[in-house]
Amino acid sequence: MSLWPELRYLSAVHLVGGPALRWVRWSDARKLRNFRRPDSPLHPPLVSTARMKELMARHYLAGQYANGVKKVAWVTSGAPVEVLKALGFHLFYPENHAAMCGARRKAQGLIEEAEQAGYSQDICSYARTDMGAALSGKHPLVGLPRPDLLLACTNICQTVLHWYRVLAAHFGAPLVLVDTPFLYDGAEQHQVDYVRRQIEEMIPVAEQVAGKRLSHARFTEVIEKSKEACELWLQVLERARTRPSPLTAFDCFVNMGPIVDLRGDETTLTFYRQLLAELDDRIARGVGAVKDERKRVLWDNLPIWFRIGRLSKFLAKRGVNVVAATYTNAWAELAPMMDPTRPMDSMARVYLHALLNRSAGDKLATMHKLIEGYSIDGVILHSDRSCKPYSLGQMDQCERLAKGLGVAAVLLDADHNDPRAYADEPVEGRLEAFVETLEAS
Amino acid sequence: MFVAMAILPTRSEAIAAAQERGQRIVAVLPIHYPRELLRAHGFHPVEVWGPPGIEPTEGNVHFQAYTCAIIQNAISLLIRGGLDVADAVLVPNSCDALQGAGSVLKDFVKPKHSVLTLYPPRATRESDMVYFAEELKRLGAALTALSGVAPDEEALHSAIATEEAADRAALQLASARMQTALGDLDFYSLLRTREYLAPDAFVALAQEAATSTAPTPVAPDSSVPVMLSGIVPEPMQIFTELGAMGAHVVADDFACMSRRFYPAAAASGDPFRRMAERLLGSPPDPMRGSPILERCDYLLGRLRDAGAKGLIVYDVKFCEPELFDLPMVRQRLVDEGFPVLHLEVELTGSLPGQTLTRMEAFVETLQ
Repeated sequence: MSLWPELRYLSAVHLVGGPALRWVRWSDARKLRNFRRPDSPLHPPLVSTARMKELMARHYLAGQYANGVKKVAWVTSGAPVEVLKALGFHLFYPENHAAMCGARRKAQGLIEEAEQAGYSQDICSYARTDMGAALSGKHPLVGLPRPDLLLACTNICQTVLHWYRVLAAHFGAPLVLVDTPFLYDGAEQHQVDYVRRQIEEMIPVAEQVAGKRLSHARFTEVIEKSKEACELWLQVLERARTRPSPLTAFDCFVNMGPIVDLRGDETTLTFYRQLLAELDDRIARGVGAVKDERKRVLWDNLPIWFRIGRLSKFLAKRGVNVVAATYTNAWAELAPMMDPTRPMDSMARVYLHALLNRSAGDKLATMHKLIEGYSIDGVILHSDRSCKPYSLGQMDQCERLAKGLGVAAVLLDADHNDPRAYADEPVEGRLEAFVETLEAS
Repeated sequence: MFVAMAILPTRSEAIAAAQERGQRIVAVLPIHYPRELLRAHGFHPVEVWGPPGIEPTEGNVHFQAYTCAIIQNAISLLIRGGLDVADAVLVPNSCDALQGAGSVLKDFVKPKHSVLTLYPPRATRESDMVYFAEELKRLGAALTALSGVAPDEEALHSAIATEEAADRAALQLASARMQTALGDLDFYSLLRTREYLAPDAFVALAQEAATSTAPTPVAPDSSVPVMLSGIVPEPMQIFTELGAMGAHVVADDFACMSRRFYPAAAASGDPFRRMAERLLGSPPDPMRGSPILERCDYLLGRLRDAGAKGLIVYDVKFCEPELFDLPMVRQRLVDEGFPVLHLEVELTGSLPGQTLTRMEAFVETLQ
């Protein structure tokens, strides 16, 4: 085996990249501490965000040089990754990569690459972003590692299966499927058994690709850390129950990278503890994320990644703080179900109960809980043409929120990653009217 | 000439006949479901593929504009009473959109019908078979709760055998496509009676058509043989239009037809396992999660066997599973010398002029 990949990885990730990223973090944190913008409706961004950026940048840098050093698995955001993590795979999350490209306004070019290859504008814009990158070889942010294994779990959508079938055909990599029957009602035993069996069947496949046996001690350790990370993430989100809230859901969208990509890592625990400490400090000083928080709002569905900053300011300027989101809550709400003493069974239950694998009525019930828990005045439902499992049901949910609960609710037509399916004027016009309704209530 | 075409039973007639037999009606949305399980429990399944030409007013109240017309139309039809003859509605989880439709129906629309669901697995591993057999048992229990009929294993095996005979008849008919005396519209209208006819009635029609020999060629020598793929050939006008353009259909890969030619499975043992093996043994289908390259090989084989010169993929707009497969399918088939035309329709009453123009241009390139 060639030493070159090892040397390249060591120098790029540890000798050069690590120190460079630490310096960038230190520099960013200093800027954030000294951030002064009196005319902004928002208080300075969270300083911990600099640490998050360092973590994520380091993860992507390690990925760029991983081939030949570590086995690489491309995985869906709701996949049971603990087995792969324990086997030492480098985990690459195409959805997270697509979101990063979206947030940095780099997605459109990749989307157009996928469309030129024949992929329709009517399929998910995350998929188009990543397939555009994979097919064209263009990587505007960071080089992508070639997958040795693909893991798709259908608990977020069926789209990922079709998307990963394309990746499997393109890369010639083995695809492991964890299929999760949709829960129209409560989970039944045969559904739990099915998911558990698939996770168990994944192990020998992953071991063969990894070239080593799964250490159960390491596996348990990963699950424990994964559970703790989800619990810390839940605490982070729940700090927004305070009035004024020390953070916005937009902050949470930005800081959710580690809970998606790096759960099971010690550094993730350290990061979320640090973030919690910063939030507690803000709470103690009475500092809200929005300077004049008058109304509190729940966001449903994925963010509109390429408009996070603008929407955050638009709403903050009108005294509105988006304090909770069903999307960020999805990585927190199931933490109590994880049980390291019964790893397979509890993983099966956790991954079966992902938010998007539950009924439209159950999603509405989740919104009810968040509305009560976070003292919510209104709900913005992002009708995301790229995400049907999240969006279908919203028209009824919107009506029931307004008529049943008397909570102001607005349906916002947009797309999470394709800026061509979005226009500022109509969206902001609807939000303006929504804010007026909030103020009148 | 096969005279039965003039008197091909309609959905209404099939429903009336089933009710006379004392069967309850269950309206079934696409795609894969166990007909035999429904029948063994005293139900007569009638499938709802849209239908076309419905004004989707009620559907638009519950589903965004980017939801496919099959769902928009079916929900509109259901809410305005068009499915009142049914006691239950079965919504198989075939895709994200049908998943949403089932969930919204159960949680929000709450029609007077019982809403039944079924989650077919997306692979064909042993664990999928085991799960699916259990899932079919769950559906069976729900059917028993509705009808009070609890079939024993023998009754289930008998119902399976009857459906296997009907599937065999459909496959034989499709395989003998060019030897029958039927034009495209008549032929595919007959095949589609499988969506609502009792199996024995379908078998009788299919066997009659399969054994009727063509006194004159179905299509002139100059006519271009094409294969159709997609979800459902609605509006059925597509067949007459293709004929007028100088093409004829020699094979199909529609979700409503040949993707549901289920094979027979071992007749002994657990009937639920037998049903699971049958349903998961059907030809490659993106809704069942089939690998794309496997589907490419399958389509290529079908094109060659049927002597087709090209493939028309005739999709309902917003069908994501179909759209993901398309680029690789197209590339592979084109590389092998089979041009591909992709059309998307909204299940309106008639085909738009632009669609017809594209079809015409495609047929011209094949001539």
